[in-house]
Amino acid sequence: MSLSAASSSILRACARQQLPSSRAAIASCQQRRGVADASKSTFDSPFGSSKEYSSTLKIPDFSKYQSKKPPRSNQVFSYFMAGSLGLASAVGAKATVQDFLVNMSASADVLAQAKVEIGLGAIPEGKNVIIKWRGKPVFIRHRTQDEIQEAQKTEWQSLRDPQADEDRVQKPEWLVMLGVCTHLGCVPIGESGDYGGWFCPCHGSHYDISGRIRKGPAPLNLEVPQYNFPSEDTLVIG
Amino acid sequence: MAGAFASAIYQGLIRRNAVYLTTIFASAFAFELTFDTASNKVWDSFNRGRQWKDIKHQYLNKADDEDDE
Repeated sequence: MSLSAASSSILRACARQQLPSSRAAIASCQQRRGVADASKSTFDSPFGSSKEYSSTLKIPDFSKYQSKKPPRSNQVFSYFMAGSLGLASAVGAKATVQDFLVNMSASADVLAQAKVEIGLGAIPEGKNVIIKWRGKPVFIRHRTQDEIQEAQKTEWQSLRDPQADEDRVQKPEWLVMLGVCTHLGCVPIGESGDYGGWFCPCHGSHYDISGRIRKGPAPLNLEVPQYNFPSEDTLVIG
Repeated sequence: MAGAFASAIYQGLIRRNAVYLTTIFASAFAFELTFDTASNKVWDSFNRGRQWKDIKHQYLNKADDEDDE
């Protein structure tokens, strides 16, 4: 306690001795501020001065960084850069989407297997030919004139799946259709049944000479695939 | 000169947003075309003599040569 009292008295003495000088410094500062002359200040503030508040505010000189070009060309330059970014993004987005779509489309070997070409010269009139197309049997019948007459004269409006013979064939003498019974998928037998066409042995569906369902459980006519005749005696299915 | 050029571009292409976007997409189309063509040419010149279209004639003429012999 005695020691602390001694030390505090020493400190007080020091403070008393230092006080006058520090007071003088503060007073000089206050005087200078009152004069409001920045040039006399020893402290050069980076925040500068202005005309109104010359003592505290000073705007730095940015003219070194100012563009020498006209303002319009700077504007055009920044729009050009933004537009170039847009161009690159558009090209990239298009390429990405296109790659995905091309990846999804069928490859050349799949496309090559999707078609079957048949020479029709080997099929005599009144005969059936069964070929395999995409894993399914396809019936091709070279119909005689009598059969064409019979198929066209049928009252198709009253059938279960009404369809005219003209809608089922491209050339009347060539009947092309999928050999899959529309009931449960058996393969019908040709040149049999009550209507001179096809007969499905599984559940007894009778198809006529145009492949239309006439009797039995099948709900629809035999399906006609896409086909065309590139020349007079060739047929391409698919 | 540069200022006149810039203001011509600004007035012609940038001032209307529709024109600006149309310009971007049209130049994207042109850029893609030229870029694809150029990269295909680079690829072909890099792989000269190794592609099917380069060696095709050897195999297609073979049948004729055999007929001659």
